[in-house]
Amino acid sequence: MMKENSTAPKNEKKEKVGADGLTKKERRALKVAEKGAPDTPNVKDVKKQPAVQKPSNISDASVSKKERRALKVNQKAPNNISAKPTEVTKEESKEADVNEGKSKALLRAERREIQEKQRLAKLAAKENSLKKDAEPSGDTKNKIKPVSRSPRKYKKELPKESQKKVRLFNHLYCETLNNRGTCIINNVHPTFIALGEQYSSKTIIGSNARCLALLAALKDLIRDFVTPPKQELCRSLESSLNESVKHLQKCRKFAVSMNNAIRHFKVHLTQLNSTDLSDADKKCKLQDVVDVYVSNEIFTAATSISDQVKAKISNNDVIVTYGCSSLIKKILIDSHQDKKFKVVVIEGRGLLEGREMLRQLVNAGIDCSYCLINSATFVMNKANKVLLGAHSLLANGSVMARNGSAQIALIAHSHNKPVLVCCETYKFCERVQVDSIVYNELGDPNKILNIDTAEEESPLRSVSSKTPPESVNLMYDVTPPDFVTAVVTELGFLPCTSVPVVLRIKPVKE
Amino acid sequence: MSEAVPIDFSYIIDEIRSGTLSQSNEVALKTEEFVERIIAEKDWKNAQELMNLIKAEIKLISEALPLHTISTNILRHVLNIIREEYDIGFKSHVEQSLHQMMTSDSDAMGDYSKMLDGLKTSIIDHLSEYKTELETSIDNIAAQATDHIYTNEIILTFGQSNTVEQFLKAASRTHSFQVIVAENAPSYNGHSMAVSLANHNIQTTVISDTAIFSVMSRVNKVIIGVHSVMANGALKTACGVHAVALAAKHYSVPVMVLTHLYKLSPTYVSSYSFDACSSPASVLPYSFAGDIVSRTNIINPMFDYVPPELVTLFITYQGGNAPSYIYRLLSELYHPDDHEL
Repeated sequence: MMKENSTAPKNEKKEKVGADGLTKKERRALKVAEKGAPDTPNVKDVKKQPAVQKPSNISDASVSKKERRALKVNQKAPNNISAKPTEVTKEESKEADVNEGKSKALLRAERREIQEKQRLAKLAAKENSLKKDAEPSGDTKNKIKPVSRSPRKYKKELPKESQKKVRLFNHLYCETLNNRGTCIINNVHPTFIALGEQYSSKTIIGSNARCLALLAALKDLIRDFVTPPKQELCRSLESSLNESVKHLQKCRKFAVSMNNAIRHFKVHLTQLNSTDLSDADKKCKLQDVVDVYVSNEIFTAATSISDQVKAKISNNDVIVTYGCSSLIKKILIDSHQDKKFKVVVIEGRGLLEGREMLRQLVNAGIDCSYCLINSATFVMNKANKVLLGAHSLLANGSVMARNGSAQIALIAHSHNKPVLVCCETYKFCERVQVDSIVYNELGDPNKILNIDTAEEESPLRSVSSKTPPESVNLMYDVTPPDFVTAVVTELGFLPCTSVPVVLRIKPVKE
Repeated sequence: MSEAVPIDFSYIIDEIRSGTLSQSNEVALKTEEFVERIIAEKDWKNAQELMNLIKAEIKLISEALPLHTISTNILRHVLNIIREEYDIGFKSHVEQSLHQMMTSDSDAMGDYSKMLDGLKTSIIDHLSEYKTELETSIDNIAAQATDHIYTNEIILTFGQSNTVEQFLKAASRTHSFQVIVAENAPSYNGHSMAVSLANHNIQTTVISDTAIFSVMSRVNKVIIGVHSVMANGALKTACGVHAVALAAKHYSVPVMVLTHLYKLSPTYVSSYSFDACSSPASVLPYSFAGDIVSRTNIINPMFDYVPPELVTLFITYQGGNAPSYIYRLLSELYHPDDHEL
């Protein structure tokens, strides 16, 4: 019901409107998903899964182009904020200029008119035609297609081997889009569908990158949202957002950062509900809320953390880090400008993120070593400090981070090396957890069987016994607070145990 | 034992170097056969001369294979056998009472140059006994499996070890339990270990090495093999076992190390070349991201040092021993004069 009305893109002409079938963007996203993990050249600022088979694959260029476009949005957003915090995106500002003179009622009327035309156009087009939309070449970075009225159907190939459940982790398996054949996605803005694909294919990984992508998509949703007749903007927007979130949750479980961001947004949404601003003003306000959140909680926090850690790094230090964290990367690259130190990047298998970290650090001119997690003891002897990123900090002081971080912290602790966990406070979470099994996320178990450095294929691929060996690929683990020397947040160096304190003062700050 | 083949250990050295001979019990048996041939075929008149021959071989092997300990340990033990047989032959050292042990001075011993009839036969007899011991070591260790594993346990092991494999298979005949195998990057031999166990109808789960700490909270026992055991009860193992042992310590999970006696070395971590790095190709492919590989220092060490306090129990063919007992086993295996050659 709502979707018909929620779709008028104000900055689009009719001919751009996609027919009811899949949009080009989505088809690409599907292609990406069907290919499995895409090998894409890397995009700045957004952590990406390093190419497992071939680092840069020409045949994937088309995919990456689109993704880059999508991701550019994420990068753009903060820049715009820093320039003029009230503006949202370039197109929008243009749009705003054009529409400045018109009254809001007029605008609304116009929008309705456009919508009406779209509806006619859609009716003309056959319901499920998969014709390519005439998509003008990509100067508009994030063109938004209206959500179609008919439910979108798309088929995905089932993973070749249906997941064998490992008994110990039985409770962690859940039905996701990945292991259902066909699904119908209703009432979801196309940006979220594309985003869902990027989440589930692990094209966008890392809790900062995932959160930024989500907020960028959220801004798209706000911009394109049209209040259904006789309804309030905030209420209907919230229900639309809930639908989208539900869809994304099916693609991949939400990161704590994403949950916190959405919660923050909803608080503001409710507050705004009681004001008597016009819809356009409300939208503007909401977009501001998102921009301010991104700028304060993510970027300013990162800069602050970076400055604080920099003060702790001295010349000729050997710094051990694990996997790939956008924050640690920023800290190291920032500190490299006036300090000379060595970095040891430890790799955990699974996502092979360490390679991406290595690539970017080496390209930034930092003297790097690289080893697998098994060699951690070997490198720890020479290390001065250990810097770890975090997925989330739990209320009991445990650190939830990429699988393997706990092991690094454990080894560092046994060698009496300081372990600094860098984490923005927006990743703090009220949940408590003492082990990594009770709540976790399972990655693709087949990832464990991919060994790009070995000459032979893993013998696990060709097992023919009655009880074949299972494989588990956990995404996160939980580091007990005893292994962590300090947590670096934008509020300063804190002990792990201060998480509940920070959580309590945070709402006041907002 | 054809006469055409010279008595030369370099064949075995080559095989070990090229990796064609990697099973520890095969190395042990080949070394034992080699010693038998020295004793039977080489020209020696008294115990001292024979011992010098063997000591020369030990030096040669330890120079050629500084990281290899099995052959040198076996040869050291053979030296001890020769001393014992010589002493028995002269009735000088038959029943060592506590009083004698406390008061004996080293000058009284150390002369092995007297001629002794029947020394060769008695040494050969003793050696054939030792050979049986070597051959049955795995089975004897595996036979103790049911003493240590109970039903529905979750057992974690790291990489591949023939002894651990036999041990778990022996236990699976009577008990059903679950095994978690850490894959042991970068050799990934945990995969073939898992396949082998699964073929034996053991419920097996492969995890990446990153998940060791995560799953350790659910593990009942850690059972691992070892490269060699040092005099203080410390382990020299595949890279990554230190993390396993630390995680086990953190969760108070017992760590059991299955070892053959010939893996016990009279050395300490500082007393010999301990570690080496192998090819980085198995860590990062050469083709990775342009010239990044050439601008990075890629580390791929072979061994981990695991301190004795992280080990709960050693299981040898004789039974279980605490790490603090290793020194005593060493004094039974090797003569103190042979520790440093």
